[in-house]
Amino acid sequence: MSRESLLITTLVELADNLVDDYDVIDVLTVLVDRCVQTVAVDAAGVMLARPEESLQFVASSSESMRMLELFQIQAAEGPCVDCFRSGEPIINQALDEGVERWPQFSPRAMAQGFRAVHCLPMRLRGSTIGALNLFRKNHGTLDADDVVAAQGLADVATIAILQHQSTLNASTLNSQLSHALNSRIIIEQAKGMIRQALECDMHEAFERLRWHSRNHNVRLTTVATRVVEGILAPTDLDPTPPTRA
Amino acid sequence: MRRVVTSRLVTIYTMMENHDRSGVGGPSLCPVAAALTGLDGAGVALTTSGHGVTSLCTSGGLAFHLMELEMTLSDGPGVEAARTGEVSSEADLLASATSRWPLYVPEALALGARAVFGFPVHIGAVRFGALTLCRRGPGDLSAEQRADAGLMATVVARAVLAMQAGSPDGSLLEELRGGAELDFRVHQAAGMLAVQGTTSVRDALVALRARAYASATELSVLAQRVVTRQTSLDPETREWIDHRGDAT
Repeated sequence: MSRESLLITTLVELADNLVDDYDVIDVLTVLVDRCVQTVAVDAAGVMLARPEESLQFVASSSESMRMLELFQIQAAEGPCVDCFRSGEPIINQALDEGVERWPQFSPRAMAQGFRAVHCLPMRLRGSTIGALNLFRKNHGTLDADDVVAAQGLADVATIAILQHQSTLNASTLNSQLSHALNSRIIIEQAKGMIRQALECDMHEAFERLRWHSRNHNVRLTTVATRVVEGILAPTDLDPTPPTRA
Repeated sequence: MRRVVTSRLVTIYTMMENHDRSGVGGPSLCPVAAALTGLDGAGVALTTSGHGVTSLCTSGGLAFHLMELEMTLSDGPGVEAARTGEVSSEADLLASATSRWPLYVPEALALGARAVFGFPVHIGAVRFGALTLCRRGPGDLSAEQRADAGLMATVVARAVLAMQAGSPDGSLLEELRGGAELDFRVHQAAGMLAVQGTTSVRDALVALRARAYASATELSVLAQRVVTRQTSLDPETREWIDHRGDAT
């Protein structure tokens, strides 16, 4: 499939999700997965501003500990913080040139084999609510079309958060952000339980939640909540198929 | 670690600090919640290990009596917010007298309340209770008041966790400012410990916090050790075990 048709397919898939009753973390995870496929990058994640305006990740194309650490560091320092504060994209930033700028972030990102980083603001009516973070393993640059596609996906991520009706009276941006951020914490709590009960890694733990959610047509966050509340035992989650859906 | 913090959270911490220094006494959470939102009273109710709810603190006579009422009836905005994990509000109790909380509403009106708002106090799927706000006149919260109350509820959640874990005297504000509970590893570790010790994630979160105090370890560092299996709970005794050769 060409990049153009892949991008169209992705936008149609996301639009389909957004007109239905959806789970915000699930949709954002689909979005970062497709981002890796359609833009020339190796990893992607969505960071959202907490009420106190430090950043927290809510979706990542990989749930590995090391990848999540790269987002955790950016609560305080890194391309997402700079992008969030300025509202301006950061494109084709070579990590070896960014060591002084981000002394905590850059060495850790390079240690995982990344060579370049990009960050696109999630914009809403003149303010920024978060950032789409992209990582690349080789030095090659994103071209103008890649940047347009990535900014389009960042805008869809913003819509996914805004459009989400978490509760009847939760119609404000603030409550939608809080809902997305708290949903991510629920998923982390459930992942911990699953990792321990099934002796698997965090990526597998997340895939179990996701797969079970799809199979039973129950929202991802609802499945995770049931696990944390002890209603659904980790051992009763459906086993995942061999490859990621 | 340097943190990016803007005025609203700084305002809350400064108000808490000023309250502690003023010598008024008592916990600062409720008076600060009321002052921050400009309402007539505030209360914090905690869910107990059973299904009960207990009062932690209130600010002002009206909030005190409303809290007593909720505890007696096990119904009202705080009980509902604590149970559902969602905001539960009634902007005019007079207009809703027959529909919602049939026992609570007439009594609350008699006490002089006209509008009540319950905000869940939770960390992920772990529910600690609710922050309740009240006013003597009718009217919904503005978007700013709602945002402030939601932010205050997150501060209450972190404060309650610290208190239940036995935070050393006078360290609460410093700890809130540190914001270590925001680290994803803390929540993963709580999940793992809950399974190891056959306990609730809530108790595991408190135990992890308490262990960090007792061993003078940063919460994030301890959580990292749990997630990487260098520290665990004995399934039988629930004692902490540090595995050899993995010191960080």
